[in-house]
This record gives sequence, C-alpha cells and structure tokens, in this order.
Amino acid sequence: MMRTRIPLYGTLVLLLLAFLAPLLWALSGSFKPRGDIFAYPPRLLPDPFTLDNYQRLFSGQPFWRWFLMSTVVALVATTVSVFVCALAGYGFAKFRFAGKRLLFGVMFSSLSVPFAVILVPLFVILVKTGLGSPWFALIVPWVAPAFGIFMMQQYIVQSVPDSVLEAARIDGASEFGIFRTIVLPLLRPSLGALAVWQFLQSYNSFLWPLVLVSDSSQYTLPLGLQTLFVSEQRQYDLVLAGAVIAVVPAVALFVVLRKQLLEGLSTGAVKG
Amino acid sequence: MTTAVAGHARTTDQRADETGTARRPRRSWAPYLFISPFYLLYVLFMLIPIAVSLWLSLTEWVGLGAPHWVGLRNYRNLFTDISFHRALGNTAVFVLVAVCVVVPLALLIAQALNARGLRARDLWRTAYFVPIVVSPILVALIFGLLFDRQFGLLNSILRALFGTGGVDWLGDPGLAKVSIALVMLWRWTGYLTVFFLAGLQNVPKELYEAAALDGAGRLRTFTTVTLPALKPVTAFVVVTSFIGAAQIFEEPYLLTGGGPAESTLSVTMFIYRAAFQRQQFGYAAAAAVVLFVLVFGLSQLFNRLLGIGRASA
Repeated sequence: MMRTRIPLYGTLVLLLLAFLAPLLWALSGSFKPRGDIFAYPPRLLPDPFTLDNYQRLFSGQPFWRWFLMSTVVALVATTVSVFVCALAGYGFAKFRFAGKRLLFGVMFSSLSVPFAVILVPLFVILVKTGLGSPWFALIVPWVAPAFGIFMMQQYIVQSVPDSVLEAARIDGASEFGIFRTIVLPLLRPSLGALAVWQFLQSYNSFLWPLVLVSDSSQYTLPLGLQTLFVSEQRQYDLVLAGAVIAVVPAVALFVVLRKQLLEGLSTGAVKG
Repeated sequence: MTTAVAGHARTTDQRADETGTARRPRRSWAPYLFISPFYLLYVLFMLIPIAVSLWLSLTEWVGLGAPHWVGLRNYRNLFTDISFHRALGNTAVFVLVAVCVVVPLALLIAQALNARGLRARDLWRTAYFVPIVVSPILVALIFGLLFDRQFGLLNSILRALFGTGGVDWLGDPGLAKVSIALVMLWRWTGYLTVFFLAGLQNVPKELYEAAALDGAGRLRTFTTVTLPALKPVTAFVVVTSFIGAAQIFEEPYLLTGGGPAESTLSVTMFIYRAAFQRQQFGYAAAAAVVLFVLVFGLSQLFNRLLGIGRASA
C-alpha cells in the first residue's frame, strides 16, 4: 500500500513546489541585498539578511498611504457588495414573483460581460458627472457582483429552511426583520466566504485603478508598486518588499477563512 | 445564459412548491425590494455603461469637447486594423490555453487530490489555491525575475544545466506568448482545481462501487462515471475560464507591455491603449463592443451546448 502512494505524494509535492516556490523566493528576496536577488545558484535563505529594502521603501515612498487607500476601498466595497448580494440572493431564493426568471437571467448573464466592455464608458460617466473621486469610483465596479448573488442564492436555497421563515411570518415579523434577524445569522459562513472573495477582488484590482487614478497621492497599492516596477531602473528590491507586505492581508484573510471560501466558491459550480 | 437560468429557476420553484413558500397568496413587494439594490446598481454601472459604449463606438472622441458622430467608421477601421487582428488572435490563443491546457490540468490535479485515503487534502488544496490570492503585481514581478534574459532564474538554470542560457523569454514573439501562458497556468490551475475537487467529492460512492463490480478499469471508470458526473462543474469551469482568459490584461501589460511586436497584445490591452494612451475613446468603445459580442455570444452558446443548469432541473 505504501509503495503505491509514493507517485501520488511525489506529484503533489512537486506541484506544491511549483505553486509556492516563486512566492517563497520572493519573500526571501525581499530580505536580500539588491545584488543577491539575481544571484545564482539562488539561495533560499537570505545571507546576509537585511531589512534595508523595507526601510528604503518606507522612507522613500508613501507606502502606507497606498496601503491605507487599498484597504479602506476594499473594505467599503466588500461591505456594500456582501449586503447587496445577501439581499438579492434571498429575494431570488425564497420568493416567487412575476418576472423572476427573466430578472434572474438578466442578473446571471452579466457574468459574461467582460470588464473591459464597461471600462471606457464607466470612466467617462464617472469623470463627466464629477463622481470620479477615487474614494467613490474605486469601489463602483465591485458593489453588485452577479457571482456573489448566485453564490448567496445557492446557499440560501440549501441552508435556510422555509419552515422557519413561515413561523416568523405567522408571528407577524416584517420581511426585512426576518431577513435581518433570521436569514443573515444563518448565512454567516457563506457571507464570510463572499466577503473574502470580494475583498481580494477589490484589493488586488489593477486595471480600474490604473485608468482612474492619476494623482499619485491617491494610488492604491498595486498602482504604487507598479510605478516602482516600471521605473527606469526596475527597483526589484523595493517592489519585492512592498509586494510582500501587500500580500500579507490577502493571504492572512484567506488562511483564516479558507475553508468557507473554498467551499463557498464551489457551491454554485457543483450544483450547476 | 437562458438555459442555465431557466433550469435553475425551475428547481427553486419546485422546491418552493414542495415546502410551501409558493403558497403565499398575497402579492408582495418584498421580493422586489430585496433585489432592487442590485438592479439599481446594475442599471447604473452595467446597463448604462454598455449603452454608452454602443453610442461612443459610433463617434470619434478624444475625451474633450463633444463626440463627433462617425457612424460605423470605427468598426470599418477595426476590420482592417492589423493590431486589432493581432489582439484578437493573441486573446484567442490565451483562451485556448486556458480551456485546453489549464482546465484539463486542474481536473487531473483534482483527481489526484481526490485519491482515497489522501492525507492533508485541505492543506494541498489550500496551497495550490494561493497563487490566485496574490496580487497580479507580485505575480508579474516574480515572473519578470524568473524570465529575465540576463539574470533570470530560468536562464541561470539553463546555463548551469546545458551551458547555454540567454533565452529571451519575454523578448521573442513566440516565447513571450509561451511565457504569458505559463503565468496563466501558474495563476489559474489551483483555483480551478477547487471546483473540480468539490465536484469529484460529490460523485456518489455507489457509482464507483458499481463500476468496480462491473470490472471497469481506471480509464473506463473515469470516462463512464467521473466525467459524466462532473459535467455541470466542467461546464462552469470552462465558461468561467473562457470569460476570464478573454479579458486577460495584467499579465501581458506588466510583463511584456503587449510586445514584442504586439505578440502578446490582448483585446483588453488594445482597448486600454486606444482609450487611455491614444485618446481614441470612440475607437476603444468599438473594440469593446466587438469583445462584448464575442464573449457574451460565445458564453451563451457554450451554456447551451454544455447545458449549464440542466443537470439540476
């Protein structure tokens, strides 16, 4: 039995290396002096170990401002979108109403609209109407994701029993009251999953901030790091340090809520 | 996605009938209120932009002053624009890589992760998923370092093994495409694996037992039990990969700038370049409309062919 398992575990370990080695190498590189980043053979552990890249990043760049911008925008976008998705998901999962099929179809089909299609008009509209302030405009693309509604709807159909809703209605609870006091608490695991996903989408987004933000004091993290990356001498050392810090909240959030996220993501797909 | 939706709505309605929600006789505004925030945002930030895109695509506009109506001229120009042809072709290549390489590979890995008695399944799954969590900037940075012509790790390894490195991964038109494809592979495979693994774990064990009783071998079991059971997941994964790859932007923008000689220019990059680097807003909008028609049309077609949602109906 043991012998037959060796190819399986061998393959899995090789894959693990392929997926994680580049990231570990980046982490290690952020603690290396600039010259050592390209050294061959590559050293896994930095020697000498230095915090110089981080220090220069913090002193020479408005790094924390970029960080704050990204994080706050992502948090607001996440909160709004999770609420919108829970509401709509509940509406679709537990009610029968005229036009439901059509409205669901319209919502669902927006999954097949590439962002590049609305990129130009969204930019034009927001700038022309004076709503182009990054604090508002940066969250806009993330607030009504069809994917999230679909995920919520699937989850609610499976895990919110109609009998509970009926009982609450007989007790005279208002529809929104039922949603707030009964449905939302039942949804907690999948809300967590959706929240992580939405946070990552907004936090890692690049194209929309690239188009929208021209004032470097309002850069998000990816934009700020990109300026170091594409500058005359590619400042690999600084970008590595910055990228490592940037990835911390994303990976931390993911690690804490990974179970819900991985299961939540696949719910819709498995049920078709 | 009409099929998907029709199939889907039917299941929920049936379920509602069985459990009694549907018996509620009162006409209520409640469901409309629940879905209205979404539709408000949907109209403002999706429908109106699409309409504006259509209108802009019929104009010439540099971003200032009034757009100048030109009818179908932008579309005629796109038709003969070699850059746009290249962008379409490159994007098609990336889509093919996603659907024909990344998706099957994800299925294979999921199959390995589904092996009976595998230890630490969640740990593997989590680790493989990490690349999609990471910011595209970090991805571009890492792969920029790996692919670097002079100092890159790949070339260093080649030099050490074969004495010749200096492969111009990002500077040679053919290799640049390969490099971008490798990055896609690294970023997306683990993500898609999650969906396949969930699908595999949902296949009823009895089906495998029955296949074993029939004396079916591994390959036969895979084609007669696993693949049919995975159909809904596969359909979902194929369509999402298609839509994702059709709008690829960050990888080529950050790694190659679309070059060399536009060999990695994607449609999204073409749109970005036209609008925000060349101030051809109308032209960019026309390219966006073409992308919309292609992606939207093809994903409807895929849904119909693959029958998303039909399995649950």
